[in-house]
Amino acid sequence: MNTIKVTINNTSYDVPANASILEVCKQVGVEILTMCHLKGITDIGACRLCLVEVEGVNKLLPSCTTKVVPNMIIYTETEKLKRYQRITTELFFAERNHMCAVCVANGQCELQELGYKVGLDAIRYPHLFPQCEVDTSHPWYVIDHNRCIMCTRCVRVCNEVEGAHNWDVMGRGHQVRIISDFNTPWGESITCTSCGKCLHACPTGAIWPKAIVQGQLNKNPGMITELVEKRCMKL
Amino acid sequence: MNRLELKELIANAKARKENGKHKIFVCCGTSCMASDSETVLKVLQEEIKNLGLENEVEAALSGCMGLCNQGPLVKVMPDNTMYQKITCDTIKEVVQGQFINKEPIRKLLLFADTRPEPFINAEEDPFFKNQKKVILKDCGSINPEDIMDYMAHDGYSAFEKVLFQMSPEEVIGEIKHSGLRGRGGAGYPAGLKWESVYRHVNDQKYVICNGDEGDPGAFMNRSVLEGNPHSVLEGMLIAGYAIGANKGYAYIRGEYRLAVKRFETAIKQARQKGLIGNNILGTSFSFNVEVRIGAGAFVCGEETALIASIEGKRGTPSPRPPYPAEAGLWGKPTLINNVETLSNIHQIILNGGEWFSNIGTARSAGTKVFALAGKIKYSGLIEVPMGTSLKEVVFDIGGGIPNDGEFKAAQTGGPSGGCIPVEHLDAKLDYESLASLGSIMGSGGLIVMDKQTDMVDVARFFMEFCMDESCGKCVPCRVGTKMMHDLILKIYEGNGTKNDLDRLEELAAYVKETSLCGLGGSAPNPLLSTLRYFRNEYEEKLKQHKHVSHEHN
Repeated sequence: MNTIKVTINNTSYDVPANASILEVCKQVGVEILTMCHLKGITDIGACRLCLVEVEGVNKLLPSCTTKVVPNMIIYTETEKLKRYQRITTELFFAERNHMCAVCVANGQCELQELGYKVGLDAIRYPHLFPQCEVDTSHPWYVIDHNRCIMCTRCVRVCNEVEGAHNWDVMGRGHQVRIISDFNTPWGESITCTSCGKCLHACPTGAIWPKAIVQGQLNKNPGMITELVEKRCMKL
Repeated sequence: MNRLELKELIANAKARKENGKHKIFVCCGTSCMASDSETVLKVLQEEIKNLGLENEVEAALSGCMGLCNQGPLVKVMPDNTMYQKITCDTIKEVVQGQFINKEPIRKLLLFADTRPEPFINAEEDPFFKNQKKVILKDCGSINPEDIMDYMAHDGYSAFEKVLFQMSPEEVIGEIKHSGLRGRGGAGYPAGLKWESVYRHVNDQKYVICNGDEGDPGAFMNRSVLEGNPHSVLEGMLIAGYAIGANKGYAYIRGEYRLAVKRFETAIKQARQKGLIGNNILGTSFSFNVEVRIGAGAFVCGEETALIASIEGKRGTPSPRPPYPAEAGLWGKPTLINNVETLSNIHQIILNGGEWFSNIGTARSAGTKVFALAGKIKYSGLIEVPMGTSLKEVVFDIGGGIPNDGEFKAAQTGGPSGGCIPVEHLDAKLDYESLASLGSIMGSGGLIVMDKQTDMVDVARFFMEFCMDESCGKCVPCRVGTKMMHDLILKIYEGNGTKNDLDRLEELAAYVKETSLCGLGGSAPNPLLSTLRYFRNEYEEKLKQHKHVSHEHN
């Protein structure tokens, strides 16, 4: 395998060429916060948590979609990046209605975990408290838009892994919503196969099975990664 | 058609133009058509027939003449006499005066109502005299629906020249030498962009013309597409030849129905003449062009979102790198240029890069079209050399502020730009000068504001625009613009606190630096620039809050 030299936070590493900054950091044990990233599906660089500073580049680059190049000098934990990660986290919480105490994903939630990681003890921006729909029309599952953070992992996993493309995005700006088919109730979808992959891909408690209550969600996003890796195996 | 036949066709077109007839053009741009210029044209043509003037006078429609609020406009060539606010009745007077009595009708002349002595030759009027037209040279003096009229003005001669006399490297060299920079807003050197697409080896490459003009109050691209669509098409053909592409897409804003219609007519005519298609003029160069109509999203002016939209996907941007030059439309190397950039190309080829680089400033070559609007006497579409001062544009061309008002600031670059206050009235309109003042060139919107204008309201308006137009993909733009809008509104309404202003400034820096694309990246600009020059207005509003709360207590 081709390797190249890169410097991450002042330490030099030999890393595989053609990998993303995020993959490389994971490999050498440098933690990078992510939300819209899920290994196995296409990266889109949307959540802006994984931004890094690269010497000689005058803008912040998303580590999930930026490939390493020889002699790249990368910084992942500058004061500025930490400040921005904190603001992004605050905006996630302020955008919709995240009430951990009554959420099925309590203790299993990537957003909650992110809050702990950046040391979130208060949100300095006004909560928007939008009125969001809860769609319970599917016989087994529920989608609660109050808890959705628009990472679109469900959209990508449904399209790329299951091949159903039940989920998509509608609207613009802060009024974007995840929709089923052409904005029909999930239960009436003609494309959904009820495979449940979106439940596992969802980082929060926005999509969950009906049979559970607070804190009982049991999900495994790694399952998606494993499935994709096994598909790619040479037999 | 082969090369000789094209040359003959161009020669014929030129001969036809020099037939000694008077040409009378009726502006049929969107704005003049809205005040019924099409009927005026019909009445004019009948009147010419009735008076038996067919051998002396030819009437035709033209594109935008630049003064949209004075429409419908009529121009008589070669005297360059312009008439304003012409109706079906007054057009008869004009014909009678111009061609029977040989005396212009003074009361109908352009600016007859605002200037004590209106000019018979409109080119002598300060509004036109202080302009320099390159892009809009033929706009308003040719029939945009007739390819022969374009050929009579050297149309397709540049394409013929590159096809038979120049290698792709030479074409790129000429563009690089000209110093032409992208007119979409960012100002990236066009020659370098062309070269990088040229260098990516691939069987399939694309040229995209970005006509998704969306800044509020800006209509530069619309006027070029409506007034001289063939110049854009010729630019696309030359670009295709230079970078090795065989397919072009013109992405035009959906609201621009007339521009779409005129551009499609241009494509059809060029195809009929064999200028578009396979093995053009018997060479190995093939090029086809299709129009794609935008569906009303501002963000689709961003190149990666535009490409997604052409592919039939939701118009959302994606991170760069990879740049479109490497992996653009359907993953292939793609050149994407603005309408205005492309409409310069044929003149650079004909007159040389050296000629072009001598217009404007050392680092910003050529001219720039601005949509001059707001609190100004003569608003409209103007073209000036880069580096012209704001003062010249506002006072010499625009005639200053109406009703003896006082100039306060001018907003350039629309929702992505900033304001230039009165103390910088001498600022030069070029890429670097505007950037150093915290604004941008942008696509060419220029909104003049007088003393009555509330700058907090200006910031609120543009933030609302960005909030509505954010695609919602990345967090800083989706949530950040909404938060910023709410905070500005709170301050504007007199309910803001010092803490709100601090949060606002913190968010502005965050959204600017972390957003995925240029929409979010530039959304805080109007706020930051009004804070830079008019911070006192924000502080005034904060004081209001204290006052109100005391009353309530």
